[in-house]
Amino acid sequence: MYARYLVTALAAVLLVTSGVFVVDVDPGEGPSVVDFDDAITMSDLTQAEQRVVKERSLAVPRAEVFYSRYRYVVGHQGLSSLVTELDRDGHERQFGVPLSIYVTDYADAELAAGDDGFLRVTGGDTDWVAVESAHFVVDSDARHPGGAAVVPFSERAAAEQFTDSFGGTVVGWEGLQAHSFDRSELSLAAAERRTTDRHGWADTAAADARQLRDRPVSVVVGEDAPTLAAAIERAPPNTTVVLPAGEYHDVNRTVRKPLTIRGAGVNETRLVGDGNGSVLRAFDARVAVTDLSIRGIGQQQARPNLTVDADAWDAQVLRAYGYAASGIEFDDAGGSYVADVYIETPTNGVTVRYSDGVVIEDVRVDGETPWREGFMSTITVHSRMVVQDSTFVGGRDGVYMHLGDGTVVRNNSFADLRFGVHEMYTSGTLVANNTATRTRTGVVVMTLPEDNVVTRNHVTDSAVGIDVAGRASYVVGNTLVDNEEGLDVGSDRSLFARNVVVGNDVGIRASTLIPTNVVTANDVVGNDRYVSTSLGPVRIWTDDGAGNYWGGAPGVDSDRDGFIDRPFQPTGAVDRYAASSPDAHVLATSPAVQLLRSQEGSLPGLRSRGVVDEAPQVRPVRPAAVAAALNTSATRAGTGVLA
Amino acid sequence: MSGETDDLFAVVERELTIVARTPAYIATAVGFAAVVWWLAYASSLTGYVPLVADLLTPVEVLVPLLAVAFGYRAIQADAASKELDVLRTYPLRPRTYVVGVFVGRATAVLSLVFVTLLVAGLFVPLFGPPANPVIATHGGDGPFGTYLRFVLLATCYAAVVLAAVVAVSTVAARGRTVIAAAVGVFVLLTVGLDLGLVAALSSGVVDPDALRYLLALSPNSAFRGLTLALSIRTVEAATLPVSAVLANVVGLALWLVGSLVLAALSVWSDPPTERWQVVETLSAGRGTDASTDAAADQREPAAASVEQSVDGSDERSGGAGAPDGSPED
Repeated sequence: MYARYLVTALAAVLLVTSGVFVVDVDPGEGPSVVDFDDAITMSDLTQAEQRVVKERSLAVPRAEVFYSRYRYVVGHQGLSSLVTELDRDGHERQFGVPLSIYVTDYADAELAAGDDGFLRVTGGDTDWVAVESAHFVVDSDARHPGGAAVVPFSERAAAEQFTDSFGGTVVGWEGLQAHSFDRSELSLAAAERRTTDRHGWADTAAADARQLRDRPVSVVVGEDAPTLAAAIERAPPNTTVVLPAGEYHDVNRTVRKPLTIRGAGVNETRLVGDGNGSVLRAFDARVAVTDLSIRGIGQQQARPNLTVDADAWDAQVLRAYGYAASGIEFDDAGGSYVADVYIETPTNGVTVRYSDGVVIEDVRVDGETPWREGFMSTITVHSRMVVQDSTFVGGRDGVYMHLGDGTVVRNNSFADLRFGVHEMYTSGTLVANNTATRTRTGVVVMTLPEDNVVTRNHVTDSAVGIDVAGRASYVVGNTLVDNEEGLDVGSDRSLFARNVVVGNDVGIRASTLIPTNVVTANDVVGNDRYVSTSLGPVRIWTDDGAGNYWGGAPGVDSDRDGFIDRPFQPTGAVDRYAASSPDAHVLATSPAVQLLRSQEGSLPGLRSRGVVDEAPQVRPVRPAAVAAALNTSATRAGTGVLA
Repeated sequence: MSGETDDLFAVVERELTIVARTPAYIATAVGFAAVVWWLAYASSLTGYVPLVADLLTPVEVLVPLLAVAFGYRAIQADAASKELDVLRTYPLRPRTYVVGVFVGRATAVLSLVFVTLLVAGLFVPLFGPPANPVIATHGGDGPFGTYLRFVLLATCYAAVVLAAVVAVSTVAARGRTVIAAAVGVFVLLTVGLDLGLVAALSSGVVDPDALRYLLALSPNSAFRGLTLALSIRTVEAATLPVSAVLANVVGLALWLVGSLVLAALSVWSDPPTERWQVVETLSAGRGTDASTDAAADQREPAAASVEQSVDGSDERSGGAGAPDGSPED
């Protein structure tokens, strides 16, 4: 009789559990707002701007988004990133639909603009309101450091009251979505346009600075004046002081007028300091130093007791780096020029502070080895400068930027440093056509800036090739060979395209939790591992139907469209060995693996640690560059499976 | 009526005994569970909805395979060993026999599918990767209920496919071709019908609007449709109207009932009632209690005799041709 009980029991279990079809299993039922600091944030502001917000207690409207297919709560600082991100191509694919969105509610807060024009909460409380029932004030005079502020209110009356003092118009959520915001355009064309513009600016700045070589000679040291100090004293502004061949110990001089100091060549004219402080200082605009060498620079690096604007959030940075002993130190010296100079330094080579348009070219700076004992070969602080056609060996960083927005670094070579180019709180730069070798990182961008371009650089034998943080940046056409880790995709909403990644221990590392980067048309060949990822969702590295070239990716292109029909999972259990083991190909096409992979790419936001390329390229995107890289790659040339 | 129920459970118990005593079935069950669990373990296990997405396709293939393994000899074996010929001499209606066989096998298969998938679901809390503790998460990865829905749908799907396999086992019972027929039904269910739909769609025979109802006619498409609409609920599937869900449910029900009806009709034809009349008369000749009772009681003694013969099967060592639930070879 046991059959009766068995059947009854099974039927009962199935019946009871069937109740799950009538209960609501909607994942979106009422997620409540979380602590903003616990959300993954996307911001309208760079980290430099965020520091200003924190320092001055400014008001920046926030949003929290709960997605159906992304397990982490996404926070937005400023609402323009919210609207543009929701509207981005491929966004829904990666995140699903937003189940609920909350924005800051200023209905019960008193808002005012400070002297700086930025919005502040002067009283009352802020709360959260769902976007559907929020009223947004757009096009008002309200601003935060990242730009115009969109200010949400839960009540229409409060919004209208706000427009009385700040202007603007009140719109609903749909109106806000229709509102036009600046969108980062992540295309090769956009990168190329930026590159051209910035090269253009640098060309102009360099041409302008080179005119300083043409100033008439007024004083020749040794003939017209006994010492350099006397010569500087005697020379009228806008003339040239000539230093004939020889060694000069009469240094540690400060120039306070627009002068050109010209030697007879780096091997002929030698300035030798006494090992204390900077050798030359220029505290006026349009000072040029050319054709000489500088040694004997002081040891002092950080200046902890220096009096700077101590209220500024970056006072610590200035004390730590900006006033170290240097070969040449510029302060408030816009449009100045350093060319054909050799500097040997235990600390900084050329320091540029508050001086836009300084051009440094054809310079060689030898720093300390190991790098820990050295400092910055060139450093820009609050200045836009050009560093080009120069060589940096040893020392900590080749070019260090602190708030050096728009700086251009091109055609330089870096070796045996910590970082070749190191950007801090700096946006809108161009780092192009440089080579770096034996560094910790060839080019590193930190502190979440925006709109940086890193293009056509060549990094070899380094711990990390290129590591770009921040957003709306472009890493295009670089070559990364024989590094421990080629490319670090650590930014968001940025473009990584046409890079050649060959012979590294790890080709690309994906380190952001929020998968908003476009990674396409890169050639990843002959690396020990294609990709490593940190915890986070699966990233789809295919853009508009075009993926990357993964050397040795299994599969065929049956429709001859240039893409392998089978998606490639560079972090997958089998695919990760595709380059090194032909046997992996046999296994990769097995039904078991197909079965396992059948749902790859679906629900990427809910999966962890992986990369999927849905349209791997059949042929390298830059075959000549890949072939050249394989030739120079010492270690693993054999493993690059080329079509 | 209770007589027929007793008959039914007699057959069910016999089937369960057969399953329990046949090592091949035990091995198949262990294999099925191992494959499902390995697939689940190999998936990312970040949540219930991703697990459903990962298991959906394997289940679509493995469940029909399991049904074929457990069902294709269900009736054919009885026919081959001539037990069917013995059974038909009992006062057992063909529908009772067929439903009994189905329920017996289904009890084994459905329990297996249900428990295996349920255990696979436990892997999510047990072996899933930890969420980043620093960052706030929310329930985007779905509650257990979405997974339970999938498990139940898979269990229903198993029942439907098993019914189809039992029907094939019945129809092909006369020939030696049952294995070929079973493989045929497996191919038809897993890819054949859907391929036909693809062909019809691409050649323009069917327009996309009709697809919804035609899909419901393919059991695995119906199962997939229900899973997408009720469990995974992707953006596209969430917009599936109620009519699609209903069509799928009706499609699965039609396959289940249709298969069983086909099996019942073709297993053997109902013996002529007069034959039982004769038996009845003999029985009535020995006693007088049944003489006035009408057709309702007619089967009582005969049914009891079947039950006795089944119940007594354990003691009756290997009576030739007896339906004793001995393992299939």
